[in-house]
Amino acid sequence: MTSWLNASFSGLSRAAAGRQAVAVIVSVARRHGDRRRPYALFALLAAGALAVSARGEDTFFAQRVAPIFEQKCVACHGEKKQKGKLRLDSFAQLMRGGEGGGVVKAGAPKASELFIRVTMDPEDEDFMPADSKPPLTPDEVKVLELWIAAGASETTSLAAIKGAPALAARKAPVAALAPDWHPRAAQIAQFEKSTGLRLVPRSAVPTDGLVLRTASAPTRCDDAALAQLAPLADLVVEAELARTKITDVGLVSLATFSNLCALDLTRTAVTSGGLGTLVPLQKLESINLTSTEVDDTGVARLKQLPALRKTWVFGTRVSTVAEDPAAAK
Amino acid sequence: MNPSSPDHHLCSDHCGENPTVWDLPHVPLGLKREWLDLETRRHFLGQGVKALGWAGLATLLGRSAPKLLANAPILGAPTMLPHYAPKAKRAIYLFMAGSPSQIETWDDKPALADLFDKDLPESVRGGQTLTGMTASQTRFPIAPSVYKFARQGKAGRFVSELFPYTAKVSDELCVIKSLYTDAINHEPAILQLTTGNMFPGKPSIGSWLSYGLGAMNAELPTFVVMTSKMPHRTNVQALSNRLWSSGFLSPEHAAVALRSGSDPVLYLNNPKGVSSDVRRAMIDGVNDLNRQLFERVGDPEINARISQYEMAFRMQTSVPELTDFSKEPQSTWDLYGPKAKEPGTFAYNCLMARRLAERGVRFTQIFLRSWDQHSRLPTNIKLMAEDSDQPTYALITDLKRRGLLDDTVVIWGGEFGRTVYSQGTLTADNYGRDHHPRCFSMWMAGGGVKPGISFGETDEFSYNIVKNPMHIRDLHATILHLFGLDHNKLSFKFQGLDQKLTGVLPSKVINDLLA
Ligand code: HEC
Repeated sequence: MTSWLNASFSGLSRAAAGRQAVAVIVSVARRHGDRRRPYALFALLAAGALAVSARGEDTFFAQRVAPIFEQKCVACHGEKKQKGKLRLDSFAQLMRGGEGGGVVKAGAPKASELFIRVTMDPEDEDFMPADSKPPLTPDEVKVLELWIAAGASETTSLAAIKGAPALAARKAPVAALAPDWHPRAAQIAQFEKSTGLRLVPRSAVPTDGLVLRTASAPTRCDDAALAQLAPLADLVVEAELARTKITDVGLVSLATFSNLCALDLTRTAVTSGGLGTLVPLQKLESINLTSTEVDDTGVARLKQLPALRKTWVFGTRVSTVAEDPAAAK
Repeated sequence: MNPSSPDHHLCSDHCGENPTVWDLPHVPLGLKREWLDLETRRHFLGQGVKALGWAGLATLLGRSAPKLLANAPILGAPTMLPHYAPKAKRAIYLFMAGSPSQIETWDDKPALADLFDKDLPESVRGGQTLTGMTASQTRFPIAPSVYKFARQGKAGRFVSELFPYTAKVSDELCVIKSLYTDAINHEPAILQLTTGNMFPGKPSIGSWLSYGLGAMNAELPTFVVMTSKMPHRTNVQALSNRLWSSGFLSPEHAAVALRSGSDPVLYLNNPKGVSSDVRRAMIDGVNDLNRQLFERVGDPEINARISQYEMAFRMQTSVPELTDFSKEPQSTWDLYGPKAKEPGTFAYNCLMARRLAERGVRFTQIFLRSWDQHSRLPTNIKLMAEDSDQPTYALITDLKRRGLLDDTVVIWGGEFGRTVYSQGTLTADNYGRDHHPRCFSMWMAGGGVKPGISFGETDEFSYNIVKNPMHIRDLHATILHLFGLDHNKLSFKFQGLDQKLTGVLPSKVINDLLA
């Protein structure tokens, strides 16, 4: 007895003390099933009754509804946590409902617990997502409403439900910029130790690549150090080589950095001749040549780089510097 | 026992005989980490296990040492990796202390011209508590800006004639007109902007970045602060190091204040007659003594002290190089203007900020004071603008042409806004403005901020916000976001709370500002 009492109290930590007595009574009632919402069954029936018009990926549920849960709810209602005994990580789980029974009443959004929870006053302690997590956008709410109104089915096709707000330009799934560096952590540490340079992960995402960072000791970074980096070259997406000792010889090593996106060569001894060796860098998006001896011929060589969008040539011999330095591209 | 998920809240006296350092209450996590780091290195790899000041913990640590060792980061290393790939690597914050009036600078209200000397409707003020400086005024006469605005740049933004230079980089700026804050007086308001809290003792933005992301250049401080010479002085607020302190974070995350003049970092130069070798030997000696003390009492602050000595020693070579402007080309002086040669001016500091950015300093904060124009606003704001406009433009232009603006976010603004009604007598060419926390303007540029836009709107009196209100907390959340940090995750356990720059009240990243 005490254990479930405790549980209900802790589950209601957000409730005002005065409401707790009431809450306990409610949970007793819930335990006895009195307040269980019986409509999950209806929903399942309704779903089954609809013709199987689409499968898997093309359904409204998979395309529009599930991603909302995934993004805003599953952290608390998924495999790891099941707040309110509810899981929202699959259609079947959703239909199973939570502590209080079914949460979706097919055809009746306003009578569906799930819909009520996301549309009530955000200040209400029952509002979902809980704990001031980012609420659903009006568009997302609309999607849920349309879906429930149309029968809350797993199989209804995307096309069958009209009037859904257009998807916000969905960010393309972030492609891996480089292979996961973790398996080569020991090699990375070894390189850092022997050269005094740093290989810093760009983010906690293991495939976001590494930054070659030399700011602490730029003069320790020379052509030989770059050559040493060869076994790890594919991990480096950004090379900060400003003020280092690298020369055109080092550029030959750099040409093997197949995932390199950004290259800073500010105030180095590289020349126009050397830049030609960078042509294999298919992913290079920006190159900084500030305060180098590079001239127009070097910049012309860079034209062959397919991904290159930004070239900085301030303080070089390049003649085509824009009039207004602020407008330099 | 993973330091990044210290969900052990046991008190030491609940841990029976086997408390670990993680279980000790009231000790900042970072300090525990440092302690542990040194502890494990020294006592397990070195002379072996010894009983220590802290309740013989070393003995007890033996139990879980390998696991702990694997998790203990090196001193000065970042606490975490960015949660997502950052857009900004560094920030330069131009803090306009005293608070420039939004009405003369970025929140253009041309229609006010027709309301000159009319009374601000009572309903607009809405029973607001005013400062002691204007509360006793019998009238609240509307004072339109004496400065005109004109369209500038491709985006056609209206820019004040006070900023003829900044107007040229108008397309780089993201102007926020709907910031608001909680404080109506300078000290708490400045603290809230710099540390997220009106009360002293919280870490500054730069300290949080240093704590979270570590240094890019170990030879220089991660966080640097400069105060600027003022073109004129009225109502000047004192600035103190609590605005750039590390609060409860380890002291190594506090800013180093660069001074103007021949001694940019105090006591950094060797005293006359002391050579570098002697200095090194002395620091080694002091460090030794400190280490001995640490072994006896186990206070992690001692390690912070040791690392400060080491940083000071490294700065003996890095700072002279940093502050030697002799190799700057003529184009630099043309850009920043002649005042940039005079140490301590805002222009000089802006140039220094660019040099710091080039060298990988994460956070540079430049304070320029004397924007607090309670009276004689038209004259004095002009003096301030004339002093700062060209260097501000120069900084943005310089960062941009050197390819640094893409990953450096520049932030400009004061600590609150100013009232539309005149403080004191209003005449055609003279008026003052009181403090106004309900709305103010700031701008950001570079570092992943959307260029050329304006965000938020105030009412016709620039008194209340009518669109997209943005609290200081949202600004902080957005700045951290640019650095790849989730403001809800960048936290530090102290006094029983997961302390955050954005505190405990709701705050959000303003996505509309992101490029
Ligand atoms: C931060 C955690 C958290 C997030 C995120 C969250 N919830 Fe909840 N949810 C809870 C907690 C705790 C409960 C149990 C207490 C209650 O019923 O209010 C709950 C209960 C519910 C219930 C009632 C279950 C029942 O049968 O009693 C529904 C429905 C619900 N959540 C829907 C959602 C939806 C939809 C989302 C996403 C938009 C969401 N939640 C996101 C924490 C969360």
